[in-house]
Amino acid sequence: MNDTTIKYEKENLLEVKNLKTYYPIKGGFLRKTVGHVKAVDNVSFSIKNGETLGLVGESGCGKSTTGRTILRLLDSTEGQILFKGQDITKLQGKSLREIRKDIQMIFQDPYASLNPMQMVGSVVSEPIMNFQKKSLASLKNEVIELLRKVGLPEDAYYKYAHEFSGGQRQRIGIARALALRPKLIVADEPVSALDVSVQSQVLNLLKELQDEFNLTFLFIAHDLSVVKHMSDRIAVMYLGNIVEIAEKESIYEEPKHPYTQALISAIPIPDPRKKSNRIILKGDVPSPANPPQGCPFHPRCPQAMAECSLSKPLLKEVKSGHRVACHLY
Amino acid sequence: MEIVTNDKISAPIKSPSPWVIARRKFVKNKLAMISLIFLVIVIILSFLAPYITTKDIVRIDFMKISKPPSSEHWLGTDTNGRDVFTRMLYAGRSSLTVGLGCMFFIVFIGTTVGAISGYFGGKIDKILMRFTDFVLMFPFLVFVIVLNTILSGKVSGLWTLIFVISVLTWGGVARIVRSRVLAEKENEYILAAKSIGCKSSKIIIKHLLPNVASTIIVQATLLVAVTIVAESALSFLGFGVPADTPSWGNMLAEARNSDVLRDKTWIWMPPAIAITLVILSINFIGEGLKDAMNPKSKR
Repeated sequence: MNDTTIKYEKENLLEVKNLKTYYPIKGGFLRKTVGHVKAVDNVSFSIKNGETLGLVGESGCGKSTTGRTILRLLDSTEGQILFKGQDITKLQGKSLREIRKDIQMIFQDPYASLNPMQMVGSVVSEPIMNFQKKSLASLKNEVIELLRKVGLPEDAYYKYAHEFSGGQRQRIGIARALALRPKLIVADEPVSALDVSVQSQVLNLLKELQDEFNLTFLFIAHDLSVVKHMSDRIAVMYLGNIVEIAEKESIYEEPKHPYTQALISAIPIPDPRKKSNRIILKGDVPSPANPPQGCPFHPRCPQAMAECSLSKPLLKEVKSGHRVACHLY
Repeated sequence: MEIVTNDKISAPIKSPSPWVIARRKFVKNKLAMISLIFLVIVIILSFLAPYITTKDIVRIDFMKISKPPSSEHWLGTDTNGRDVFTRMLYAGRSSLTVGLGCMFFIVFIGTTVGAISGYFGGKIDKILMRFTDFVLMFPFLVFVIVLNTILSGKVSGLWTLIFVISVLTWGGVARIVRSRVLAEKENEYILAAKSIGCKSSKIIIKHLLPNVASTIIVQATLLVAVTIVAESALSFLGFGVPADTPSWGNMLAEARNSDVLRDKTWIWMPPAIAITLVILSINFIGEGLKDAMNPKSKR
């Protein structure tokens, strides 16, 4: 417990308040906006310096949209993103470019996220060149140092992305994200496209780099065991909402929200004699363009009550540091 | 810090860029290489014409009207008594200048408009594309003839034509580049470029254009052929290159006389064959480039 109290004293590096990101649906003859896909619908959380927040949820629940909105690669519809206390949602032009030095991203697809026409040296040096004037020699030294840090050979500098395996490409992406020495890295499913054998290498690399550079991670994933390995705290998303957020131990030992319980029950247990009490959810995820009234999870919830279809539950603290959006509590 | 990678690389330091790989593939394509060599020879011959023959291309000689090929005049003389071979070489110079010049202008305008339109999207895209449609809508021949007539004399002959053809033809390239940019910009590396603080101009020039370059290069090659044909057609009709400058189209125009067409084939056959072969070889080169730059092609 002592460990957590120290963490709470640290200030929040990132604070997200009531963030909404809607995609307009255009339709009709004049291509008017006829509705919105509510990809991120009123999400609030905070990340402390040096911490890793895992963001989990099934595909289409708005994890990646949240990450990209924080990087300002997508524009938010409403809400605030406070980075070191500064609201970055309205930044434009030069001040937006300045913030890029502090927030970087590791992308999901190691194949699509590297320009096939660029040499690795150029990929990794580009962020530095965008912000600093440096001599070619010192730039090259810095890049080679970065490549070495992420476990790539020195001669990768003159190679092209297509000459590397998926895991190595992801290392190139990590080196690029590290080049500006950012404070916060949004890792958008950094290992989900990799072989299981390579996943652990990349995850351990991320952990080592976190210690070395004092990084803060927003770690987006759908693999619960990966998130468990990486995160200090975990937020569970469902249909654009955070339904539960808590310390890692707390969420794995006592999941409160019925959705989280179902997710955790789905983790395979590596013991054939042990019988798992799998909670099977019925139905499909509703469309985020037309989310259900009340609690977004109520149509599939095994413990739904009358109240659930009427009012949307808000996140409330049920235990120190453990917050759930559910009418059961 | 030691990280175990099970696939360390021990290859030569510099590795082939995608361009080098494409070049290797192209060199292996026999038809394209023969075409390229042929085209280079034609270009060299045309642009070195003053060093190859000393005969006059303009002076009319009534003593030598419509003479068949002989040792003095390899390809005979035309209805004005001028040496056909000499005119062929000089004509190649104007036709190729028109082809290459138009290609540069069209690619420049088309790529700029298409890339900006595709990358920024939204209102900018709508405005630029409606403007492109507007230009594409012009009836080509009518406008070329009118514009060329109005402008001729103000700029030196060939460049008027190059300008006029370019201004009316860039629309197609703009649309092709736009559609390629639309597809390419969805790749995560464009998002990555944004996230590392690249400006829009840099993203377009450094990240998007190299990746759509293969399409642009193939288009550019085919444009040379298209504009040479356009030039020939216009000159044949008498509205292209000024009559005092020989061009393959101008030379073909003599075939409008049925007597020449029927009996004096040496006057119009050489330019006709030159046009056909040049267009054919340009198209083969274009095909070869398309194959070479497509990473999925095995050839």
